[in-house]
Amino acid sequence: MTGEWIRFGIVAFFLILSLVCFTAEVIGVYRFGFVMNRMHAAGIGDSLGLFSVLFAMTVASGLELQSLKFLLIAVFMWFSSPASTHFLGQVEYFTNPSLYLRAERIPDPGENEAEKAEEEDR
Amino acid sequence: MKKDWKQKVDRWLAGDLDVMAHITDGAEVRDVPRQERKENARAAQERVLETAGAKRVISAERKGFYTMYNVIAVISCITLIGVLLFTVANLPRYGEENPRTVEVVSRYVEKGLEETGAVNIVSGMILDYRAFDTLGESHVLFTALLCVMILLRRDKKNEAMAPAGARALGTDAYYNIAKDPIMRTVGAFLLPSIFLYGIYILLNGQNSPGGGFSGGAVMGAGLIIFASAYGFGTVDRFFTERASRIITFVSLAFYSFAKGYVFFTGANGLDNHIPKGTPGAILSGGMILPLDIAVGMVVACTMYGFYSLFKRGSIGHD
Repeated sequence: MTGEWIRFGIVAFFLILSLVCFTAEVIGVYRFGFVMNRMHAAGIGDSLGLFSVLFAMTVASGLELQSLKFLLIAVFMWFSSPASTHFLGQVEYFTNPSLYLRAERIPDPGENEAEKAEEEDR
Repeated sequence: MKKDWKQKVDRWLAGDLDVMAHITDGAEVRDVPRQERKENARAAQERVLETAGAKRVISAERKGFYTMYNVIAVISCITLIGVLLFTVANLPRYGEENPRTVEVVSRYVEKGLEETGAVNIVSGMILDYRAFDTLGESHVLFTALLCVMILLRRDKKNEAMAPAGARALGTDAYYNIAKDPIMRTVGAFLLPSIFLYGIYILLNGQNSPGGGFSGGAVMGAGLIIFASAYGFGTVDRFFTERASRIITFVSLAFYSFAKGYVFFTGANGLDNHIPKGTPGAILSGGMILPLDIAVGMVVACTMYGFYSLFKRGSIGHD
């Protein structure tokens, strides 16, 4: 009886955690305007949200073939989701000419040219 | 009066009279270069904007347009919702006795396994009872591939029409995903399981949810990942346009020969002499498995063909 209650507690905790993650994901994807911010928001649900809901299902179904399938889905998604996020980011990096306005680490190409021109003048 | 009319006809035959002159626009249109025409239009617009009260009128018009837009959008949405709800309200209740619908459904559910040999009743329906429907669907896919090929195929004739800078820095064609080590590693891990899963869905269509369309879609996605992970050159070694053509043709021709006659017999299939096998085994269901494979091949070729044509303008060089 106590074991059942402990299992119920674990399942409920992870389901609620996944719910919080997915809510954050949906709000972020719709409210943010910039691709990278949206990707960050989508990543929250794709990693932690997906894992917690699948883990909750695994615990709820016990030691069966079904739970192994749930874990397999989690592994598959954790392989493919970061890879696709990486490529989305790469394409954005290569195709957006005004990325420096958004990201601090990326230098302004115009500034660099101005500096080079100054150095050449000296 | 009559003479007048005859004179007119004579003049028209001689080409001196244009009877349509009063309805055609006789104003002379000069052949202005495109750039100049654009500039003229812009200048005219600016001149209009400079006149007194123009901006007020324009903003009022714009406001009116958006108001009307919202009103019409809401009205059409409400109409659509009403029509759909009305239709749903007139449907028979779930589980209610309705001889019109129950007759067919009960035949499928009760005798489906016995008559088609497929555990998955949906497969039995779409590839046995209603195989002509699926025949049309697979031909639709093939037609879509042909249309994309007409629009996007690049060859010697239209190579010069490509816009300048289409392959330059700043477009996604510049970024070659196949050079990325992450993609290769992920592809090496994921591709075998994806292809295996696609083949499993394809061959197990008569026993579990799946079949030609879903299995073919998974295999086509696997081909796309293969192409983006290892480059188009690697795929071209085994899957060229010629191979795609042959696979698609053989599949569609086989399907048409196997099930084309049902158009003339009113969807009544002939007696099946292929043994149905034990339900649940891979080799069961008579014609369903070969038809599933044919549909899956067409779907896989079409999906990869779309990706390849959109990405580089050809399916692969022979």
